[in-house]
Amino acid sequence: MTMSTEMASHSQILVEEKSSVRILTLNRPRQLNALSSNMISRLLQLFRAYEEDPSVTLVILKGQGRAFCAGGDLRPLLSYVIQGKWRLGAAFFADQYTLNYVLATYSKAQVSILNGIVMGAGAGVSIHGRFRIATENTVFAMPETAIGIFPDVGASYFLSRLPGFFGEYVGLTGARLDGAEMLACGLATHFVPSTRLTALEADLCTVGSSDPSFASKILDAYTERPNVKQNSAYHRLDIIDRCFSRRTVEDIISALEREFTQIPDDWISSTTQALKKASPSSLKISLRSIREGRLQGVGHCLIREYRMVCHVMKGDLSKDIVEGCRAILVDKDKNPKWEPRRLEDINDRMVDQYFERLEGLEDLKFPPRNNLRASSIAAKL
Amino acid sequence: MRKLLDGHNLVDRDWIYGLMTQSNLFNRKERGGKIFVSPDYNQTMEQQREITMKRIWYLLENGVFKGWLTESGPEAELRKLALLEVCGIYDHSVSIKVGVHFFLWGNAVKFFGTKRHHEKWLKNTEDYVVKGCFAMTELGHGSNVRGIETVTTYDPTSEEFVISTPCESAQKYWIGGAANHATHTIVFSQLHINGTNQGVHAFIAQIRDQDGNVCPNIRIADCGHKIGLNGVDNGRIWFDNLRIPRENLLNAVADVSSDGKYVSAIKDPDQRFGAFMAPLTSGRVTIASSAIYSAKVGLATAIRYSLSRRAFSVTANGPEVLLLDYPSHQRRLLPLLAKTYAMSFAANELKMIYVKRTPETNKAIHVVSSGFKSVLTWHNMRTLQECREAVGGQGIKTENLVGQLKGEFDVQTTFEGDNNVLMQQVSKALFAEYVSCKKRNKPFKGLGLEHMNSSRPVLPTQLTSSTLRCSQFQTNVFCLRERDLLEQFTSEVAQLQGRGESREISFLQSHQLAEDLGKAFTEKAILQTILDAEAKLPAGSVKDVLGLVRSMYTLISLEEDPSLLRYGYLSRENVGDVRREVSKLCGELRPHALALVTSFGIPDSFLSPIAFNWVEANAWSSV
Repeated sequence: MTMSTEMASHSQILVEEKSSVRILTLNRPRQLNALSSNMISRLLQLFRAYEEDPSVTLVILKGQGRAFCAGGDLRPLLSYVIQGKWRLGAAFFADQYTLNYVLATYSKAQVSILNGIVMGAGAGVSIHGRFRIATENTVFAMPETAIGIFPDVGASYFLSRLPGFFGEYVGLTGARLDGAEMLACGLATHFVPSTRLTALEADLCTVGSSDPSFASKILDAYTERPNVKQNSAYHRLDIIDRCFSRRTVEDIISALEREFTQIPDDWISSTTQALKKASPSSLKISLRSIREGRLQGVGHCLIREYRMVCHVMKGDLSKDIVEGCRAILVDKDKNPKWEPRRLEDINDRMVDQYFERLEGLEDLKFPPRNNLRASSIAAKL
Repeated sequence: MRKLLDGHNLVDRDWIYGLMTQSNLFNRKERGGKIFVSPDYNQTMEQQREITMKRIWYLLENGVFKGWLTESGPEAELRKLALLEVCGIYDHSVSIKVGVHFFLWGNAVKFFGTKRHHEKWLKNTEDYVVKGCFAMTELGHGSNVRGIETVTTYDPTSEEFVISTPCESAQKYWIGGAANHATHTIVFSQLHINGTNQGVHAFIAQIRDQDGNVCPNIRIADCGHKIGLNGVDNGRIWFDNLRIPRENLLNAVADVSSDGKYVSAIKDPDQRFGAFMAPLTSGRVTIASSAIYSAKVGLATAIRYSLSRRAFSVTANGPEVLLLDYPSHQRRLLPLLAKTYAMSFAANELKMIYVKRTPETNKAIHVVSSGFKSVLTWHNMRTLQECREAVGGQGIKTENLVGQLKGEFDVQTTFEGDNNVLMQQVSKALFAEYVSCKKRNKPFKGLGLEHMNSSRPVLPTQLTSSTLRCSQFQTNVFCLRERDLLEQFTSEVAQLQGRGESREISFLQSHQLAEDLGKAFTEKAILQTILDAEAKLPAGSVKDVLGLVRSMYTLISLEEDPSLLRYGYLSRENVGDVRREVSKLCGELRPHALALVTSFGIPDSFLSPIAFNWVEANAWSSV
């Protein structure tokens, strides 16, 4: 890294050492802590160092300002796509997914304090960690299908493991979840009101052993179990399970429409609308990604997502990411013109292509890890 | 490699795997930090039957069975087969219940019946408005369908057929679905018209009303608890002059007019029976395939376990050795793995030729499916036993699946045709083909016998490693074996006939050669499928590994077959070379073992907990 990028990344990630605990703060508050490539490199460097360093027992990750992390830095990626420099975009994702893998297979406990927005790439650096602390300010979402991409950063792994078919619901609709809902479905492991966060942090800094049960005890003492709100999607798990278990996106939408004729519920119609507004290509590849990911280890999931994201970067199968970013982020007219326009125009063969390795591009390779948790072991041929 | 092995409909498989893991109905549990789904075999017979039906309703509600009878064509059929296979990977009982309803009852209506039957029954079957079963087997007759004793006559005044069970040995037995749930059944019976027995025919009869009460003139009893497959409610059925409308005769092949005249387009009763039985091939196809998936579950578990379990050191103070690092352990499991791979390709090839079947290919399919069903189901039983032993005490624990699967799948070796009987059919078909070609002085065509038109292969006396691994050599040995056994068998039968024995008695007395021949034919057919799969691959590591697997399949088959020495295809020295090469291959396959079982594509949650972190799975904290 050059001097200036090194300084940039050093200022974008603040590091505090409190005895054997390291506190990392994502520090780009004006961009809602969106992850830049510098931040990703720096996080990778730090986490790797801490894993090897016997004097470090625990890593805490939090965000500066009112967000934890709103996602990845899309602007540079968009320009790569438009200029045809997709390999630069691919490199960004390679780093990011490597970071996700390291966090998912980390041998020490990571505590992420999700006191604000946590979306997209923000989920990638927190959900894979052992402890995720939600607060009354938490807003979680994987909103990728509305922009013409798909829930990545290992989302095909963690979403697919949510109860029933809640994962499909969250991944396809980009639905927002609050802290209580995150706790209920397992995305968060604990819930602590924001007023108690300072005290929690201070207590966590007394942890002198890398045995996670010490941190766990402290967190369990602070955690609360708030009720999920009245009109939460989490109260509609039966409908979600009936509809989002269907084989295809078209079948999911039909099932929702059938449910609506029985019970004209606003939630059903807004869910259906979200699906109808999202990129059809994104919906189909997201569904398949989640379904495949359900049966694979986290490493396998990330390797598969890397292939998919390279196709998206290259734009060889669809240019929806450009149109999505234009409509949602740049012009903000929220009226994207997807191509292909309709679900029926996308056949299985087209979806298959996203899952194939690109010509001349190697599959992502991860460093061998020693202490693989049983839940994340992935063998591959 | 997974794509290669599963062959088709991967997305559909993943969908139904997901349906099962995400629902509470499939006995989801956590062991050692991972989720597993497998039936609770500790439930009572009644509970297992009930939960099996509940699982099927859930799959039905999710649209799994859409189009299973109302759609046609290879694509639709392959999708059905894939979904059925995944059901079987979860629980044999689920796939049997589904199989009986759709493939036996449903296909009988579709292929034995005509338009009026299709319109009345197919959609209702698909939607489970009716629940079907298949009453063919009787207490006294299973494999010999033609000998069944149920009798049906025709009453022209009421235009009804009258079905009766004339004696106790004629009771229908092992009828899956009949004991609790089925509302309708196909009844196989001898048809007597005007005093003449026209042979076996199939009828539709209702056995329960929609409230679950058994219909009049029908008695049903339970077959009782079984050594496995207790999720299937097998029943026994007696017919007491049950009257059914004339339209209920499944009349695709033959019919009875309203005034009681028997008509059939096929005059020869043997041919008519053959045409009748042709649709039942689907059973052999699905059974062969499911046997291999069961073997895969066993091997994936045993091999993964052997890659983390250690026992005994070979040096003083040294660490204990991993099970799969022992040559003897490799020898127990890796040849079975190679056979499973080869047979997996064989099962896929069988599915492909089945879904693309034409009347011309029916005979070949019958022969090949008989051979594959027998060899693959026997292989599964042997593999499960070896895997059970290879994981030691853990294999005795029901939850660890490997041992339990033995009881669950044992029936495969005797239902849908006893394996020994089926293998005899293979040898009889080859005999008939040989005799007919020789008589007409025509070259061999079909049943893979074309190699007999060329000169007899000569095997090299020196068998080096590269020779042994050469696909041409391997093909030559298998061809030579088949050719020689076929010639010996036909010659021995001819000799016996020459001494005045009937052809049938001669067959019986030559049964040992017949068995050797049937096995030779089937093993050669299997080899061809893995060679074909290997040939389609581009050069690279996958192709190389598959080549090793293929050589292991061939060489272990040769090592285990006494025919090679008995009939002198190989010398004693050669047989020693083969044996040594098998050991070499064990060492070469060892590093690929994990990748090879992972390529089965069976999700972790459908395997045994001992395939993963079996220490954590047994930790006190999870008690």
